[in-house]
Amino acid sequence: MELDVRGEICPYPMMKAVEAMKKLKGSDDVVVITDHAPCLETIPPQAGRFGYTCDIEENGGAEWIITLAPAKGVE
Amino acid sequence: MTNTTVNINRRSGNQQQGIATQSLIAIAILVLTLALSVIMSKTDPALAPLLLLGVVAGFTLQRSRFCFASAFRDLFLFGSSRMMRAIIVGLGVATIGFSINMYGEIPFPSFGLLPMEANILPFGISTIVAGIMFGFGMVISGGCVSGSIYRMAEGYIASWVSIAGVIVGMGLLSHTWNWWWTNIISNEPRIWIPSKFSLGYGGGVALTLCGLVAAFLLVLWWESRAGLYMPNMPSKEEPSDTLREKLSYMWRSVFVRGWPAVVGGAILGGIGVLMYQVHMPWGVTGELARWSNNLMSFINIPAPAALGMSDIGGCAGRAGESGLFTHTFAVTVGVLPGSFMAALFSKEFKLRFPPSPRRYLQALGGGVIMGYSAGLAVGCTIGAFFSSIPSLSLSGWLFAMALACGAFIGVQVVKRIA
Repeated sequence: MELDVRGEICPYPMMKAVEAMKKLKGSDDVVVITDHAPCLETIPPQAGRFGYTCDIEENGGAEWIITLAPAKGVE
Repeated sequence: MTNTTVNINRRSGNQQQGIATQSLIAIAILVLTLALSVIMSKTDPALAPLLLLGVVAGFTLQRSRFCFASAFRDLFLFGSSRMMRAIIVGLGVATIGFSINMYGEIPFPSFGLLPMEANILPFGISTIVAGIMFGFGMVISGGCVSGSIYRMAEGYIASWVSIAGVIVGMGLLSHTWNWWWTNIISNEPRIWIPSKFSLGYGGGVALTLCGLVAAFLLVLWWESRAGLYMPNMPSKEEPSDTLREKLSYMWRSVFVRGWPAVVGGAILGGIGVLMYQVHMPWGVTGELARWSNNLMSFINIPAPAALGMSDIGGCAGRAGESGLFTHTFAVTVGVLPGSFMAALFSKEFKLRFPPSPRRYLQALGGGVIMGYSAGLAVGCTIGAFFSSIPSLSLSGWLFAMALACGAFIGVQVVKRIA
């Protein structure tokens, strides 16, 4: 599942990522494309909470691709 | 709730591109700001340090992604207390510094005099109403007043709309202030802990610090209750053997990677102390109120003279200063180049247009509510909270509790307008 939240104001980038993880319950990856830097601090702990791993790719243009993948061994 | 180890891999793509240009612009801004401080200091020597402290504040806000709105909001939205704990640490630093400044002015609190420049604000219904409104407004608009100011310089278009809303809201308050003053605020006490309870500075500082420790433990308990799980976050391995690598590592730590929120909180607390040392505690409401008043005079709906304002002090009480380069101008407008430089160095500057018209309305509406309530509280999350609790004023605590209530209501609303 891909979430393009570029331009969104606080707290929607984090909120939408959390809602997606809650909804998918580990059945699919969540790929968040964002230009909101606070996400880099706030999404990883939420990923831990819902049993996802978190991979952050910086593209150097004030945009980041955050890939949340279900961690192994989680139902 | 889970035993999963979360790995954070920070990979970077084409990040070399464009670094030079953005850093050069940032350096140009720095030179211009320093030049401005020299020009300003010719009018009033205090303006230069105040402007530069404003710049450092803006830089710190951007680097640590500091946000008062998220501190209150995320307690309810995500069960996270990270930002609130950072604020509490900053309040602790400021409490100690402020009390030293206040002692210099009023060595014997029991005589009943209040320190002139400390943010000891009215305590009562107006504090509660303003706090709830402000807490609601900042969550709806996506940032409080100081947050929106530094985000303006990061390229968030919604923040420009919020600040425009704040100026409108302050205008509405200016036209209704005298009603509030006559019926409510004039009967409200300004409670300074050292004199009110005959506690002196020792007792006042001890009580405030105990309150902060209790608040810290409370939000930490709240976070543990929410089952928030801090993942193991290995930062990217960066070589630091040669001098060049060591310098590059240091540069990236300060200018590129975000700072921990708690570092930001402690520095902002210290900046507040230094500003108070120069003249007055940090606040951004006074300057915006001044713009609002000037704008209303310009369009022929001048605000009536505010009753009682000169007795209260605090941010909005300083809105009467005239001329362009005032102390409030320095500490408020200084945030902009500071945050702009930080955003350029870290390559986080980008014009961000909200994806839907609804967000513009949220930013504007939240801004108007914040403007009105910041005027009513005689300060925003900075003036009536971050500078008020360290002034050993009871109003800061009441305002904080009301902010939390307002943020809770705001969270229920933002969830429904996704």
